[in-house]
This record gives sequence, structure tokens and C-alpha cells, in this order.
Amino acid sequence: MASSTREKVLRHLNTVTHLQPALHLGTHAPYPDAIDHTLYRAYTRSVHDVGGEPDVPIPWEEKEEEQWELNTFATCECLAWRGVWTAEERRRRQNVDLGQTQYLGLPYYGRWLLTAARIMVDKQYVTLTELVNKIDEVKKRYEQKSAR
Amino acid sequence: MSEQHKPAPMVEEVSDFEVLEMAVRELAIEKGLFSAEDHRRWTEYVHTLGPLPAARLVAKAWLNPEYKKLAVRDGVKASLEVGADWINGPPTHFGTPSDYCNLRVMEDTPKLKHVVVCTLCSCYPRPILGQSPEWYRTPNYRRRLVRWPRQVLAEFGLQRPPDVEIRVVDSNQKTRYIVLPVRPAGTDGWSEEKLAEIVTRDCLIGVAVPKPGVTANAKRPVHPAVHPVHHAH
Amino acid sequence: MSKNQHDRTHHAKIATGIGDPQCFKSKAGPAKFKVGERVRIKDLPDLFYTRSQMYTRGAVGKVTELVYESPAAEDEAWDNNDHPEWFYSIVFQQKDLWPDYPPAYPNDTVETELSERWLEKA
Repeated sequence: MASSTREKVLRHLNTVTHLQPALHLGTHAPYPDAIDHTLYRAYTRSVHDVGGEPDVPIPWEEKEEEQWELNTFATCECLAWRGVWTAEERRRRQNVDLGQTQYLGLPYYGRWLLTAARIMVDKQYVTLTELVNKIDEVKKRYEQKSAR
Repeated sequence: MSEQHKPAPMVEEVSDFEVLEMAVRELAIEKGLFSAEDHRRWTEYVHTLGPLPAARLVAKAWLNPEYKKLAVRDGVKASLEVGADWINGPPTHFGTPSDYCNLRVMEDTPKLKHVVVCTLCSCYPRPILGQSPEWYRTPNYRRRLVRWPRQVLAEFGLQRPPDVEIRVVDSNQKTRYIVLPVRPAGTDGWSEEKLAEIVTRDCLIGVAVPKPGVTANAKRPVHPAVHPVHHAH
Repeated sequence: MSKNQHDRTHHAKIATGIGDPQCFKSKAGPAKFKVGERVRIKDLPDLFYTRSQMYTRGAVGKVTELVYESPAAEDEAWDNNDHPEWFYSIVFQQKDLWPDYPPAYPNDTVETELSERWLEKA
């Protein structure tokens, strides 16, 4: 158990080292005078605003929906239905606040889901402690199932 | 270590997303943010949505010039006649939170071809068209359609003469759009039902045009789900 | 500060049976621009959030519809709905947006919506 966690920790450290700022610059946290208007605009951009960026042709595909994805969609709409947020608050958080790396790195509905979790904590409906305890509880349910 | 990280496939019983999804939904219900019944009702509502009402709107517009004028002038009112009530249809009775209540029907002519994208996210007219296709949500489609529309449309098999105006409609605020394509030749005397059959989802987005005998979207690869939606009905 | 001061009923109160953006009708005052008018998109500061696309900034387009009144996305994204403004559908010529747009396709356009704060007379 302990060594598998340590394996995960080391694998994590080796993965995040590949998550560079998009400009692949050697230096992190540069001096202020290294940031001109162009770089400032780039780093403070609204991440979702991708229209007109160059990209290459890809095969156009359909996708079968996961049950968790449909559940996530319904959760996000129910949160708005019952006034926890509006769709525009959701989009701001989900498509911009999340940041450039998660925006491009995570699946579409992965962002919806993280954002739903986050709104509950940010608006104090749930403490972060309650959220992580619940995640742990759900995980353990499945560990028990596969242990049989 | 400098080896390339190959992601471990999540083929064990549940993914991190599935765990988090359950945690979020259970906590939201425990805290009274919404009820289990709310969530079930919304899921049921989503299952009722699909492209048929929009296809019927187009077919009706082809057959009835007055209805076509209404559709172009007031998409929400025209939607009522094909059973799509943008305001009172959803469980909220104030529209769906994400799709609002401002449908605009974009009329193609022989000299004007519309095609829809949401460059900022994936806004889509769900109450009359159902859920968006995967490709519509990709950063790739959103980056390229607005700047290289003819290249992207060619990849979808659609080309138009150079003098035709291709109008990319970028659905970036509260309006939601469907395309009203030109009625194709070879459909004289067709019933509304038969006309609706050739108005596919792809025609309503604008990446395809209706053709007699073509009643489905072009075949594309389908990425399978690990735990697909169960259809209890 | 006490918790859970959020009024979860405020949107349902104004929009039930009415719809959104219908619930903001007549709240924005007179529209500054008319259909057919040429407008330039202002390159305003857009820190933290905007729905006015970078590709439109500084470009000139033509107002094709006054579509509805609503809080600007930049405000609605923080639930600040006190100052609705007019939203306009604007058509741009592709050749005015992209220096490399092929002259072989001279009539191609983009249509998109921008709220009044982003527009000035061209």
C-alpha cells in the first residue's frame, strides 16, 4: 500500500515537470521586465477564446456518452435550476478560471465536473474537508467492491 | 527519469471522474442544493431532446412561406409549433440554464450558406436539436471554422462556388442558432414528414446540406464509452 | 461573514414563465446603435473574463440585428445583473478579419454578437 502511493507520488512529480508554460521558456516566474505587452496579454488571456488560432486538420469523430458525463451535465443544470449559479458563472469558471493547462489537458466533461465541485466549495455550501472526505468515502466503496 | 509518460489506462472499475461525479452529486443532494428527483427529471428531459423538432421546423418552412417568415423573425414562437417550448418545456419553466430562450433560424439562399460554431465553448440549441456532437466541442473546430471555413467544410464534404457567401455564425452569447437550408431539387410533392427525414443534425448545424435519399449524418468513427449511458426506457 | 447569504431564488423569481433574456427586456434603456450602422470593436481591457472574441477587436462590422437586452457576460459571470445593455448581432467581412483570407472568396462573412460596451461608431 505505502510503496504504491510512493510510486504514484514519483510518477506525479515526473509528469508535472512536463507541464511547462505554453511558451516553453526556460525560466519560470520571470522578472517583470521580461514581460512585454504581448506576453502579458497572452498570459492573462481568456483561455476559451480560441477562434482564429492556427490548428491542423483532424478526423471528425462522434463519441458515445459516458453515464458519468450525462450525470455531470444534469448536475450542472440542476445547480443552475436551483439557483446555486447561472450558466454564465459556470462558463467563466469552467472555461477560463480553470487555466490554460487544465483547459487543454482535461476532457470536456472533466472540466464541467471539477467546476461543479468547486462552486459548492467556493459558495460555502460544502467545506473542502467535506468534499475530500466524500471523495475518499466513494473511493473506498469501490475498493471494497473490487476486493471481494 | 526521462522516459515518456504513457498514461495508465483507466480500465479498473471506476475512473477518477466517476468517483468525483458521485461525490459531487451525493453531496449536493445531502446539502439540499437540488434533490435526487430534480436530477432524475433533468436526465429524463435530456433524453427527450433530439434533432426531430428542428428538422420539422425546416420542413414546415419549406412548405409554408408564412411559417418560414415567422421562423426567421421569431424562432422561439416558431419552435412552439414543432413542440419545442424554449421557456416552459424544461423543468425550470424559465428555459434551460445553458441554452436560454433566443433561437434564431438562419435562412440559407443559393447565394448564402450559414454554418454554426461556438468559438468560446460549445453553445448549442439543445431544446430543439438535442446534444451537440463531439467534433463540435473540440478546440480544433472552434479554432478553425471561423477563419478557414471553406477548408473545414470541405473536410465535411461540403463545397460552394467562390462567389457564394459563406457566413460563419459564432454563437458566443445567449442566442442559439439552427440553419434553414435551401430545399433541394427532387423533393416536389413531398410530405412534411418525408422532407424532415432528409434534414439531419449536420444540415441544421450547417456542415451538410439536405439530399433526397440521405436520412442520416455522414458516417464517422465513434469513440466508444467505457461505461456508456444506460437507457432504462 | 455568515455563510450561505446567496439568494437562490432570484433568477427564478424574475424569469419563470418569461424566459432569459426576455426577463431583461426594457431594462437597458435606449440602444446606442441601429441596424445597418458600421461599428468598430473596441479593444477594452478584458482581464479575467470576456466573451468578446480577440479576433473581432479593432475590426469594423455592420449591425444586422438588435437581438436582446441582457447583463453583459463580463458582469453576469459574477452574478452582477444590475446594468443590462443592448446586444447586437454584427457581420464582419472575412477579408477584414484575416490578412490571409483568400481574395477568391470575397463575400464570406462572420456573424457574432457583442454587447454595447464593446462598440463604437466606425
